[in-house]
Amino acid sequence: MTEIAAARRFDAIAWFDKGIGLAFPFVVALAVASAVLLAVGENPIDVFSLMAAESFGSTRRIAATLSAATPLLFTGVATAICFRSGVFNVGVEGAFVIGGLCGAFVGFSLPAGFGLALIPLAFAFAAIGSALWLSVPGYLLARYEVDEVVSTLMLNFVAFGITGYLVNGPLLSEISGNNVTPLVHEAAQLPRLLPPSTVHAGFLVGLVLVVAYGLWARRTPSGFEGALVGHNRRFSKAIGISIPATIVLVMVISGIVAGMGGASHALGQLHRFADGFSPGYGFTGMAVALLGRNTATGILLGAILFGALASAGTTVQLFSDIPLDIVNIIEGTVMIFAVVELGRLSLRRWRGAS
Amino acid sequence: MNAHAAASSASAPVSVCLGAERLCKRYGAVQANSDISIFIAPGEIHAVVGENGAGKSTLMRILQGIEQPDSGRIIVDDRDVRFSGPGHAFELGIGMVHQEFMLAPDLTLLENLVLGDEPLVRRIGPVSRIDWEAALASGRELAGRTAVEVDWSRRSGGTPVHIQQFVEIIRLLRRGARILILDEPTAVLAPQQVEDLFSLLRKLREDSTTILFVSHKLKEVMALADRVTVFRRGEVCYSSPVADTDIDTIAGHMIGEAGDRTHPASSRRKGAVGEIVLEARRLTTPALEKSHPLHGVDLQVNEGEIVGLAGVSGNGQSELVECLVGLRAVSDGAIFLAGDDITNLPNRDRRELGMGYVSANRRDEGLALAASVEANVVAGSQRKAPINRHGLLDLAAMRRQAGQRLDLLAVRYGALGDAASSLSGGNQQRLVFAREIASDPKLLVVSQPTRGVDLKGIAAIHAILRRFRDDGGSVLLVSEELDEILELADRIAVMANGRIVGQLQAEEADVAKVGRMMLTQGGTDD
Repeated sequence: MTEIAAARRFDAIAWFDKGIGLAFPFVVALAVASAVLLAVGENPIDVFSLMAAESFGSTRRIAATLSAATPLLFTGVATAICFRSGVFNVGVEGAFVIGGLCGAFVGFSLPAGFGLALIPLAFAFAAIGSALWLSVPGYLLARYEVDEVVSTLMLNFVAFGITGYLVNGPLLSEISGNNVTPLVHEAAQLPRLLPPSTVHAGFLVGLVLVVAYGLWARRTPSGFEGALVGHNRRFSKAIGISIPATIVLVMVISGIVAGMGGASHALGQLHRFADGFSPGYGFTGMAVALLGRNTATGILLGAILFGALASAGTTVQLFSDIPLDIVNIIEGTVMIFAVVELGRLSLRRWRGAS
Repeated sequence: MNAHAAASSASAPVSVCLGAERLCKRYGAVQANSDISIFIAPGEIHAVVGENGAGKSTLMRILQGIEQPDSGRIIVDDRDVRFSGPGHAFELGIGMVHQEFMLAPDLTLLENLVLGDEPLVRRIGPVSRIDWEAALASGRELAGRTAVEVDWSRRSGGTPVHIQQFVEIIRLLRRGARILILDEPTAVLAPQQVEDLFSLLRKLREDSTTILFVSHKLKEVMALADRVTVFRRGEVCYSSPVADTDIDTIAGHMIGEAGDRTHPASSRRKGAVGEIVLEARRLTTPALEKSHPLHGVDLQVNEGEIVGLAGVSGNGQSELVECLVGLRAVSDGAIFLAGDDITNLPNRDRRELGMGYVSANRRDEGLALAASVEANVVAGSQRKAPINRHGLLDLAAMRRQAGQRLDLLAVRYGALGDAASSLSGGNQQRLVFAREIASDPKLLVVSQPTRGVDLKGIAAIHAILRRFRDDGGSVLLVSEELDEILELADRIAVMANGRIVGQLQAEEADVAKVGRMMLTQGGTDD
């Protein structure tokens, strides 16, 4: 009798974890936003329907949403790879920026004669640069147990500093004002998918990476090992999995994905690298990964959701009295409640360690 | 001598420094202490010995004021007291040195010495400075009294364990403790350090400190204590001045009557022993904090036999297991698996060469409880056919493999996707065996296989081990359950103090013999 009851309760928890858990942060965020809107005398339902129309109402609006979701596909995957292995890498933001600079650099510095070959070269260079970048905290964690949260977070600022210096110094464009590199060659620019919207081929690259991530996680030995390491390091070690190798591997893959995201953004969206290249795509990617429970489908949905919020926010401000801040409130609340999940995970890690 | 006689003869001294009379304590269904009477004279070193679960720790907790007894009296300096808490006991001068030292690792030894009771330079107002000169002087004075060299500026985390232990002891003395309770103080020490500790304790006795000394090691009791009290199953079964007794008598009282426990020979190995599968030569590990070092372990396991490793817990068994499976580094010695030197191989390679491992810590090391039953039972095989095909996992083959492995050992589970934590303890352990046996290892290193498993589960796990042995496999079985070892093992090695102190063929072993070897550390010949 008690055994059956225990099994049922377990089912209920699993169900909660999968269903409600996924939507929970978003529902809370809508509730908080409603409260704020009511307080300023707006009808929340009107506002939310306006936002829904602004993000999914027409082909153009959908294209804008997908465009905003594109970098989040990359950063979401890059974050999830590490989180599912119990490595709390918060340095995707920095790796994304480094990748963007590397990609743009290839795009404008190599001779235009390379033609379309510039695109794979730029992606490859960006992937290598960011992989090397994140391999440093990966190695420090694997070899010396340097806390990865601290090291990756701090490396973000180093990345901002390095790229900020380069675009104001050696790589500064001679013809266009401050803080930007020259434009990449036309051949290196990613094609637009639905002109005049800005959604570009990088979105497809992102989709491919999401699928590849799903495949890696479920169908490869190293993906399987990563998940076990995320569940229980001590167990994984006893079973013959090398913890240091796994940590370095997931950090390097995470760097590759984040770097490609940066290249995609540079070649497809801005066509150059500029100071303030990322308005926090890496951090939003963290929310995407948490909201999506590190699953490929979840990341896709999460990226589109945050893309919709971003694209709706700008237009809602234009066409109504509602300030852009309401979007920030929703985003922030989703983040906080998604981070509750992160807290639960690291609590498990501490308990596991003790 | 029975318990009553022991109690009445011990109550004779006029002055009792610390004592308990007719003390009872029950936890749920377990009578942890029943009618315990123990009297410690001032300036005496009093040893308390007994097997695990005999009730020693409960008494120590009561004497420190952590637990309240259900009935009975506690006596301090001939007066009845009722401790309101550990602070009260400490005020009365009772200090405890735990097995795990309570020093702050990032502070220096001097800072640790005065922590909580810092000497202050008097200043007007609420702000006053710590008087480090006075602190250092008091440290030097205490150390000088006991003739131990201490570098007070050292960080305690990097200090050898015996120095940490010393600081812990004089820290208590400095704060006014005059009755010291030491819980297995020699467990973490090397032999020379044990000598140093004993001379320190003897010196303290001369300075009229009273010492209650909990130990498993009868030789140490004989060398150090003035009086010994034996606990068994929650009762005091023997108490005597050490001068009037000997190791065999004490060991006999600890183990009790063993005639009723016999083990059928029918379950034993049939046929001759094969070649050597596992050989450990002079394995030695450094003394690290919270570990019991090995001092040159020699051990062999042959093909087709179960070797039982018996010993009181904390004598290096778990460290030996970790060295053998590759989870702990050795500082000296060598390990061979079927002739291959595996001393410096990582555990993955040892598994490849045919070593399986059933961890004593099922919840943290044997299983990933939050992961699925399937993932747990195929873990480790993810890079081998048939689960791995052309670098990808064949999910269908993985399910098939998992199902087969689980069915082979009749593991009861709901669905392959359920978390391993949804299984009962016995089934969790069977799952671990299912995984470890699946790779067809030459050797299984099995540690505490039936801990937390019910009777039916125990029988099933014993059957698994026997079948594995009968099929030609070798098993190193480490267990604190002496009955389990006597029932399963073909040969028994006894471990004490980081060494193998004796080996017996199963036919010639019984509880009394093995128990005596476990407790007296050198066999009966020494």
